[in-house]
Amino acid sequence: MIHVRDLTKSYADLRRGQFIALAGISFDALPGQIYGLLGPNGAGKTSALRILSTVLRPTSGRATINGYDVLTQPGLVRHQIGFVSTNTAVYDRMTAWEMVEYFGRLYGLAPELLRERMNRIFERLSMVEIRDVLGSKMSTGMKQKVSIARALVHDPPVLIFDEATAGLDVLVARALLKTVAHLRDQGKCIIFSTHIMREAERLCDRIAIMHRGHMLAEGNMAELQSRHGEHDLEELFFRLISDHDGKTERQSEGETEGQSDTITITTINPTLHPSVSPSGS
Amino acid sequence: MSWTNVKLIFLRELRDQLRDRRTMFTIVVLPMLLYPLLGMCFLQVQQFLQEHPSRVRVVGADYLPAAPALLADGLFAESLAGDRQQLLIVELAEDAADETALLRTAAQRDIRAGLCDLVLVFPPDFAQRLAEFHRALPSASLQPTGVAAAIPEPLILLDSASEKSKIARSRVEEVLRRWREQMVEDNLRERHVPVSATRPFELKPDDVADASSKAAAVWSKILPFIVMIWALTGAFYPAVDLCAGEKERGTLETLLSSPAQRGEIVWGKLLTVMTFSMATALLNLAITTGMATFIIARLGNMAAAGVQIRQIGSPPLAALGWLVLALPPLSALFSALSLAVAAFARSSKEGQYYLMPLLMVSLPLMLLPMLPQTELDLGFSLIPICGLMLLLRTLIEGQFLEALRYSLPVIGVTAVCCLLAIRWAIDQFNNESVLFRESERLDLGLWIKHLVRDRGDTPTVGEAALCGVLLLVIRFFSNFMIPAPGNWSQFATTVLVMQVALVATPACLMAIILTRRPAQALLLGLPSRMITLPAAVLLAACLHPTFAWLAEAIRFVYPLSPSIARQLESVAHLATTQPIWQVVLIIGLTPAICEEIAFRGFILSGLRGMGHKWGAIILTSVIFGLAHGLLQQSLSACAVGIVIGYIVVKSGSLWPGVLFHFTHNSLSVLQSHITPKLQDSHPLLRFLFFPGCDDGSLFYSPQATLVLGLLGLGVLWWLRSLPYNRSPEERLQEALDHQAPLPAKSMA
Repeated sequence: MIHVRDLTKSYADLRRGQFIALAGISFDALPGQIYGLLGPNGAGKTSALRILSTVLRPTSGRATINGYDVLTQPGLVRHQIGFVSTNTAVYDRMTAWEMVEYFGRLYGLAPELLRERMNRIFERLSMVEIRDVLGSKMSTGMKQKVSIARALVHDPPVLIFDEATAGLDVLVARALLKTVAHLRDQGKCIIFSTHIMREAERLCDRIAIMHRGHMLAEGNMAELQSRHGEHDLEELFFRLISDHDGKTERQSEGETEGQSDTITITTINPTLHPSVSPSGS
Repeated sequence: MSWTNVKLIFLRELRDQLRDRRTMFTIVVLPMLLYPLLGMCFLQVQQFLQEHPSRVRVVGADYLPAAPALLADGLFAESLAGDRQQLLIVELAEDAADETALLRTAAQRDIRAGLCDLVLVFPPDFAQRLAEFHRALPSASLQPTGVAAAIPEPLILLDSASEKSKIARSRVEEVLRRWREQMVEDNLRERHVPVSATRPFELKPDDVADASSKAAAVWSKILPFIVMIWALTGAFYPAVDLCAGEKERGTLETLLSSPAQRGEIVWGKLLTVMTFSMATALLNLAITTGMATFIIARLGNMAAAGVQIRQIGSPPLAALGWLVLALPPLSALFSALSLAVAAFARSSKEGQYYLMPLLMVSLPLMLLPMLPQTELDLGFSLIPICGLMLLLRTLIEGQFLEALRYSLPVIGVTAVCCLLAIRWAIDQFNNESVLFRESERLDLGLWIKHLVRDRGDTPTVGEAALCGVLLLVIRFFSNFMIPAPGNWSQFATTVLVMQVALVATPACLMAIILTRRPAQALLLGLPSRMITLPAAVLLAACLHPTFAWLAEAIRFVYPLSPSIARQLESVAHLATTQPIWQVVLIIGLTPAICEEIAFRGFILSGLRGMGHKWGAIILTSVIFGLAHGLLQQSLSACAVGIVIGYIVVKSGSLWPGVLFHFTHNSLSVLQSHITPKLQDSHPLLRFLFFPGCDDGSLFYSPQATLVLGLLGLGVLWWLRSLPYNRSPEERLQEALDHQAPLPAKSMA
């Protein structure tokens, strides 16, 4: 359903020069599966998901959704996906019903079908009470529900959630996760990005751990545990990241040292250094 | 593109704006309150408006003749000043027999200090010289020079920098003119010549214009301006809210991830902005017209200003009809421009700042038609906004035939500008660096470091545009600094310096500093198909007659002023007196190399990063044209530049372009060296040329132009079939343009 190969994305930044947000990631996500992208802030999750939702273009690499290329067939890709992120806001001067209806009509749904779907979705997501509430009057949880309804109204085979629980209280977040699981059970292909370990562990069928644009590990929990010898996802996560950071530092130091032809020998004068005593203790 | 989606987006945006109280207040309520308030203030102020008297200091009043009297009881004589006597206060100054220079200094000081508005000086011998003039009259010859030396001269000292002084001058000159007439009548009466001898006929103008035409003449200048300025401001603020405001509110990403294509989004927003632009303009027009009619009717009753205002009349109804008809294309143009500019802004606040440059470009084009000497002709009809305004003026004044003649070019130019502006707006929405631009602190050192560190193999679009602007600015200042050449040597030196130092060098330096591969950036490699080199020469030769005809047509539409024509002739004369090889080297080869390096080398390479080959070629040609200074030369150069740009893109190398340019310029030089005798002696030249309008000049014959033009088209057709290296952006744009159609609405 979703196939990503060597996807890279770089941005021009005044301070940092060419900033690599994605350094050639590859993964596959299948129907009836929740594929988790787990990583800290700045890992490249949002860039990856924005590329898949055709909001951004990749610098190189390829990604297809249901056989359509995100770069050369963006219009066709958008019909296949529903995209929810912390950046997808609601219109202040539209009611919940109006907004979902608007996007439903953009997706080309006939009026009767659209109305029927909207009624069903509003009931499912407990949105009937906020149907006529303007966006400016909604709480964060209500807004997120409207975004989800908007993403579901055209019944896409692929759903992309980018840190969808950010800013939500526990109850609302839990309800959202239940909804996502239910959608997976309906056979949707779901990509779910988060930086909360617990969410990834409980919800995702496969997890990709990302850091600084790289994919450090990928697989289901059993695979990750056996491959890396770590049972706790959080511990695995920190280990992978510190290993990656250490490796990156060594590489950059190695580049610097490799340029020098001299050997430096450092000795410690035992009479001056307090940690060394003549007795060896 | 789906117009259903466009309609959906338009209706949503419209509903959203109508729900915004601030928008409705600004567009609907504010004009309804503002104009009546302005009208009320105007009526109030009108009561206090009065003319202030001018203070005139008269020096040397003792030297005035007794009759006819200029002054009486300390004022100008009533027979001379008439009912304006109360507007002239006379102060008699003591004559200190100062020199003129001292009088001027004193007058300047006193006028600036506000002690008087004008100084009228009569020299000590004024009465005496008048008497001598009077005595010399009977024996004076009929030639005017005979008595010229005897005519006395009162000195009028004014300060033209002061409005009061200028008003005083016109009033005093009127008095002195009447005084002079009185003296003439007295002289005639003395010699028993009837006074009517000085007026063998009277001037009695009879105005055939009816009241509505007079009203139309006044309102034809005011109303189009009001409509245009409100159409622009009515477009800009909704555009800022729809673009930058949506970015701020975070709903843009939601929309971008929807099935609506970028073009559909832009069209939907454009229609919304157009609706508000037209509504604002119509509402303000209606209220202005209503208020004007109301005020004119009221002022007609007021004695002080009644006569003048009655002559203006109310705005004619037909004028309103024409304005309403012209409003949609006008609103479309302003809306598209506003949308493109607003898309660049990160926030509503930043968007407001971009209104000023838009106004600075549009206002002169709106004000130019209000000048009395500006008339609708082919030249002005091709200028955007200006042409439309002149067309409206012509229609409102009732000159329908005149308007019909030029309506096609005006509508054509307006339509082209609209489409280009819409295209630009769509490009902005396709540019993720514009849509997701982060705010950055201004740090010049960091920016320079970034330019050098992150440079690519070819220049960016921004760097190419900067190079173009730099060359135009250099050209502008060099026009003032470099003197006009007096001989061939100076001319050659000027051309060499300008081309090498002021055109090629900046482009080369920018290529070295801003790109990693300057040779690639300037397209200095040989073409992949060497046959394009001779093909370029052949094409230049074939199209030269067509371009010559084009230049003539441009000169017909925009005639050269006599002074410019003389300057060009003197330069042409310099060229014809020198050995041909020198002229070809200076006028043919040097610009060919230097200008191509700059324009088709650096600038075109960079502009191809936009992803539109033709857009880059045309924009480069426009900059190339503007660099030529004279409008007539600019337009010709632009046309030639388009062909050269196409050759360079298709061949992938600068050298075919250099050869075309060199051939084109050299043929112009050679043509000027062909004499009628030479033309008559060669069959080929007899076929190619025929005697032009001026004596001794030759011009391409129509048949030669046609034959060679067809051959040139053949070469262009062959060039079109050649594959060429597309830039990565062009490849992407092509893939997007050819993407498979969206699924039919089968989700129903």
